[in-house]
Amino acid sequence: MTMQSMHDKILELWPELVLFAGTCVVMVMGLSPKLAVRRMCAPVAGAALAVAGVLAALTTPEGRGLLPGLMPFAKVVVSVVGLAMLLLLDGTVDRTEERLIASGQPFNPLRTNRAEFYAFFLFSLTGLMLCASANDLIWLFLALELTSLPTYIMVTISRGGKAGARSQEAGVKYFFLGAMGAATFLFGFALLYGATGTTNLQAMKEFFAHAGEGGGITDLAIAGMLMSLLGVAFKIAAVPMHLYTPDVYEGAAAPVSAFLAFTPKTAGFISMILLCSTMGWTHGAGHSLPDLVRLLLWVMAALTMTVGNVLAILQSNVKRMLAYSSVAHSGYMLVALVAGPGSGRGITDNGLAAILFYLLSYGLMNLGAFAVLACLERRPGPDGEYREIETVDDLRGLCKTQPALGWTMVVCALSLLGFPPLLGFFAKVPLFTSAIAAGEIVLVVILGVNAAIAAYYYLRLVAMPLLEEPDATLPPAARTPFVSRPLAAFISAASVVVLVAFAGTLMREAGEAAKPPKATGHSNAAK
Amino acid sequence: MLASWMLAQSDYPIPMTNLTLGHYLFVAAAMFAIGLIGFLTRRNLIIMFLCTELMFQAAGIALVAFSRYHLNHTGETFVIFVLTVAAAEAAMALALVVLLFRRRESLSAEEWGQMKG
Repeated sequence: MTMQSMHDKILELWPELVLFAGTCVVMVMGLSPKLAVRRMCAPVAGAALAVAGVLAALTTPEGRGLLPGLMPFAKVVVSVVGLAMLLLLDGTVDRTEERLIASGQPFNPLRTNRAEFYAFFLFSLTGLMLCASANDLIWLFLALELTSLPTYIMVTISRGGKAGARSQEAGVKYFFLGAMGAATFLFGFALLYGATGTTNLQAMKEFFAHAGEGGGITDLAIAGMLMSLLGVAFKIAAVPMHLYTPDVYEGAAAPVSAFLAFTPKTAGFISMILLCSTMGWTHGAGHSLPDLVRLLLWVMAALTMTVGNVLAILQSNVKRMLAYSSVAHSGYMLVALVAGPGSGRGITDNGLAAILFYLLSYGLMNLGAFAVLACLERRPGPDGEYREIETVDDLRGLCKTQPALGWTMVVCALSLLGFPPLLGFFAKVPLFTSAIAAGEIVLVVILGVNAAIAAYYYLRLVAMPLLEEPDATLPPAARTPFVSRPLAAFISAASVVVLVAFAGTLMREAGEAAKPPKATGHSNAAK
Repeated sequence: MLASWMLAQSDYPIPMTNLTLGHYLFVAAAMFAIGLIGFLTRRNLIIMFLCTELMFQAAGIALVAFSRYHLNHTGETFVIFVLTVAAAEAAMALALVVLLFRRRESLSAEEWGQMKG
């Protein structure tokens, strides 16, 4: 890399640099013996995220890579959803610890987790932003690992006391399966490098385009691409790499589950888009992925939707249900990935733009559903432990006992279902239209059937709070004493409704983000 | 440069010159497969972790072999980063194993079976 190209690359990385600086500050502040300083962790993290978002929107130069418009859009989405998630994280760790300190115990920095928790949160989002800036396989590998490694720890430390056993179990499962997934895509990357002799994504694309003149797509390259996609499928929880999802989402505290449903999934989809772009998808020429790669994505999409939705029906635990629904939503987005960018003109036939828009919508509405769970708890029983609200029955009559939270759940569940005129509906339409434009009629039919299956369990989440009477035998669920958690719930519920008014603008921006690279004389010669 | 070195030495019978890229790739693929099978069948957390480590190093071997084959340094650079990440993962894996042992006094993955589905 020459000095000039390094300089250009750093100009694209201001948001990540700011986030990293914020991470360092948070890591130190969380260890302060003064409560006021420790409390500043979240505001500082929020400020870093906000500044990073603004910088991403303003300073990102015109990109040259495979998807020149991707960076500003993806990074702004990350910082917006990240800010909403930050509100939800309040009080996740150190609750018992802070109570002990308040009752006069001296502060012991070894026993608190606040600094690590917020720092890892920011690290993970930094990794996610770096995924969007990736122009190299090495970069992509490191960015994916930077996204994932902190989440393993966040899951493990997310709950204390007796519930800690479950979050630790979740952490171990997540980590070990995650390491296997990482090894799989790493081996795939090695094969891709072996087939092309380069790790630069742009150079790889040019190599693949020059069939017969010392380039072209060899069997080795196909094998590498299949392994890479299978490994990255772990991040998006696609079948057959979805097995950890329900256990991990159930074991982790609800705010962290919400985080898991957005961050690794977004990183995974961005990586898949970048990887697939090297091998095919000349905008305007229909699907040009090699047959085997397309087949893998096709089968994965169909299975992921169906398995996710069918298993979600069987769940009585809301977190497990939302986990399987997160699997199903990955399947929906894979449909658009199979469809590819089409002519690349607008979101209606550009599957990549549809994915980017869906990731934003899904991040917000899913956050709302998890936020409602995070806002409620059963009062401590004889063992003095707070219990999370988990089963569908716990939501019974919520609109009467906690009207605001109940309605948030109703709105978010309807939006996840794709009920018009909520945001989820406008996010789902481009998935259908792009697949139809690409001629994937069978997949569209499977998608439609699955959307209908999903209605069954989402409507349970709507009917329980709205239509049922509160259970008189149980003490009513109480609010957790964290002000900013309901705020996160209301913000996401409001955005599900309000953003509909701006859906046109957002879709146009997503279309810009997935617009084709400028045709150069070089790539024309490749055709 | 390396190719010219090999030409210069070609009059001499050098042991192991018949090693080709295929041999290295075979070792890498075998290691990856052993790691994957071990990961799926063994239940001891430390063995499972070693299996993922085996898979990582298999990729490392493939990278170095390809790097030599293409006569550029990208693959070798990649391996340095892979080693760093593998070290970070090792630190985490051992921390998690210690956590498990403190809670259950066992290293078996079977002990983590509270949640089912």
